Amino acid sequence: MNERIEEILYKVEKPSRYIGGEINSYEKEINENTIRYGFAFPDIYEVGMSHLGMHIIYNLLNELDNVYCERIFAPWVDMENVLRKEDISLFTIETHSPINELDIIGFTLQYELSYSNILNILNLGKIPLRSSERDETHPIIIAGGPCAYNPEPLADIVDFFVLGESEEVLIEVLDAYRKIKEKGLNKKRLLEEVCKIEGVYVPSLYEVQYNEDGTIKSFIPKKEDYPIKIKKRIIKDLNNVFYPEKVIVPFADIVHNRAMIEIFRGCTRGCRFCQAGMIYRPVRERKSEKALELADKLLRNTGYEEISISSLSTSDYSQLNELVRGLIDKYLNKKIGVSVPSLRLDSFSLKLIEEIQKVRKTGLTFAPEAGTQRLRDAINKGVEEKDLIDAVTNAFGLGWNTVKLYFMLGLPTETYADIDGIADLGKKVVDIYYNIPREKRSKGLKVTISTSSFVPKPFTPFQWEPQDRINTLVEKQNYLKSKLKHKNITYNYHDSKTSFLEAVFARGDRKLGDVLIRAFEKGCKFDGWQEQFLYDKWMESFEECKINPNFYANRQRGYDEILPWDHIDVGVSKKYLMKENEKAKNEELTKDCRLGCKGCGINNGFIGGVC
Amino acid sequence: MYKILAKFIKKDRMKFISHLELINIIERALRRANIPLKFSQGFNPHPKISFAAPLAVGVSSEGEYLTVEVIEKIEIDNFKERLNKELPKGIKFIKCKYIDSKSKSLMSLVEDATYIIKCITQDSYNINEVDEILKKFLNNEEILYKKVGKRKGEKIINIRNNIRNMMVLSVIENEVIFKVTVATGSKGNLKPEIIIEKLMDLEGISIDLEKLRVHRLEIFSSMGNKNLVPIDRII
Repeated sequence: MNERIEEILYKVEKPSRYIGGEINSYEKEINENTIRYGFAFPDIYEVGMSHLGMHIIYNLLNELDNVYCERIFAPWVDMENVLRKEDISLFTIETHSPINELDIIGFTLQYELSYSNILNILNLGKIPLRSSERDETHPIIIAGGPCAYNPEPLADIVDFFVLGESEEVLIEVLDAYRKIKEKGLNKKRLLEEVCKIEGVYVPSLYEVQYNEDGTIKSFIPKKEDYPIKIKKRIIKDLNNVFYPEKVIVPFADIVHNRAMIEIFRGCTRGCRFCQAGMIYRPVRERKSEKALELADKLLRNTGYEEISISSLSTSDYSQLNELVRGLIDKYLNKKIGVSVPSLRLDSFSLKLIEEIQKVRKTGLTFAPEAGTQRLRDAINKGVEEKDLIDAVTNAFGLGWNTVKLYFMLGLPTETYADIDGIADLGKKVVDIYYNIPREKRSKGLKVTISTSSFVPKPFTPFQWEPQDRINTLVEKQNYLKSKLKHKNITYNYHDSKTSFLEAVFARGDRKLGDVLIRAFEKGCKFDGWQEQFLYDKWMESFEECKINPNFYANRQRGYDEILPWDHIDVGVSKKYLMKENEKAKNEELTKDCRLGCKGCGINNGFIGGVC
Repeated sequence: MYKILAKFIKKDRMKFISHLELINIIERALRRANIPLKFSQGFNPHPKISFAAPLAVGVSSEGEYLTVEVIEKIEIDNFKERLNKELPKGIKFIKCKYIDSKSKSLMSLVEDATYIIKCITQDSYNINEVDEILKKFLNNEEILYKKVGKRKGEKIINIRNNIRNMMVLSVIENEVIFKVTVATGSKGNLKPEIIIEKLMDLEGISIDLEKLRVHRLEIFSSMGNKNLVPIDRII
């Protein structure tokens, strides 16, 4: 290990975050033909290593000859202080190289509140923040992941974005990079070349003009041959796509410390607040046979004591029974835990969960999202009160005593009657428990009600809707708090200031780049970490850049407005989103599209899923 | 049921692994190596692995011990080989043997441990000077240390008896290397770094505590008589 790096590891907490050398991590020879790629997760090791996408890309790229993918994470605050004090560049986990020695650094954008960490990482790596300040001597900075569907707030920072599932497109990008590098790397030529690859968006090749009111007047390619619309990429067949079989086993106790098998992508439920439900369409399943085979290889290669399946709405998986049966039969006697998250809690699921959890009954989680049927219909959450009541009755009867309920505050059309509904549901759950004969229930009921604040997201039917103002959200939280004073009920809520910032960046445009840089200069980082979040510094930054954050978070947009992400094509049409938004106002449900096509548009040119 | 005693080293980058992390690393290596593990009873079964004496983060060692229980007697060299293939660089099993499955827990046997401590001093010394300082230090009948407990608050203890043995191995200008044997385990435990702190306190030698480097050589037990022997000799 590099001596200077070794010295600083004595000075930080949890040094195992930084040492590398984990089982299944790659050690590769670096020569002049090697493209050095850095997969950067703009949060700490424990968070980044829990992310399945990172493992997929890491293993995919490292199986290629002449490409070496190393990992980069945001150093925790103590490490950052040491790096700055001793003037040491942020380094990769694999070889402890300064990150500016890499050819390409790819950031994954999982949540808006990690943007300031991107700037911090670049700065700690002595890399200029703006794309325009970097040339061939600096790494090419790219980004992908769900937040890349509205890339505009990072348009000044990132050289180009990769939209959609990147297993194929990333390899095309690396091929293009290699070709250009052989002729002598020229950043401008590279950008012009990669913009021809489907799924690649190069923001500097486009000109944005604004109206006097701050909305977008026009968004035009600077040359005719640049694509007008940039279409996301998808993998057509999950049974044949690359899947990492030898995933890194971290030393540190990370957030999701277990083997993961992805069983499908996409979701057909169509909840109107949910971005994942729209941007990951169409649904594509991996056969259970294939999933079981992967599980076996993963467990053999990692030695993990737990396996989890990963997807959006797990209960929708067509071979769920076969798969979970298979996992239980094979692994429970080997003392390998099986976890099946995101289940709809019908009686079938409860039986499954009971079998998996055997004696120890951990908490059950329900997400009705809204307190009344009216609002649940408006957001198209296809759950009825009866579903919750039945599930909870069953669960208490089977010996559960801990229940978590998730809701959102500030959903479009919400009134105080809907908030009363949340409190009523909580109390009903308590009543159900006490109505079960004492000898049939487990002692010590604990009901936890959590509310998050609704953040309108691009490419959802609510993309035009305003977010509630911070003080409105606080009033609603306080109101609910006063209604939930009960010995068995705990009420948790998210800080509405962070939700506000999230809303600004979720639907932001290019003008936010300056604010982001200003906030970084004022020390903003780890905005998603409550104790690190500096709300006042952010507000100062908006003010100094003469940007009104309410314009982004709290403004009602019209259907005719050009939205900052309109040049991105996720497959779901704007027309469909408008129709869904209108249906929300009329509290009309849209059924699961497995039961019949709803014309969202994904089957026009994105063939491969259920459609 | 069979019990294996294993001696292993933990060095290089692995010295930065915490004890809890180490447990996971060993457990997963055993699973990858397909060792027929014995599991604890109860609703959260764990392989039956126990360690002699946890090592602090940043301390390397060439004398670590653990026992692991298996349900099938596998050839011991085969066990060692299979496991070493699955362990990360820096952790290596060097000696393994079957021991009486009813033997006392390792933890309860441990009495002493020997360390090498590298110190960077502010002033330069020669070996005689450091020897003198050390002699004076060890001549104290009482070396009082303020122990800050997690729950019970502060407590003043005399650590002199917990320093079994201490000598200077080498002095080269600002670099002084000591070898110490200290009480370790449930009957008395002393972190080697504390000795250096007290040495600074009482004898006025100035040492950069941030640059202290500690390496454990061996863990000992006496089996009731005076002769200390490495753990693997007594079971």
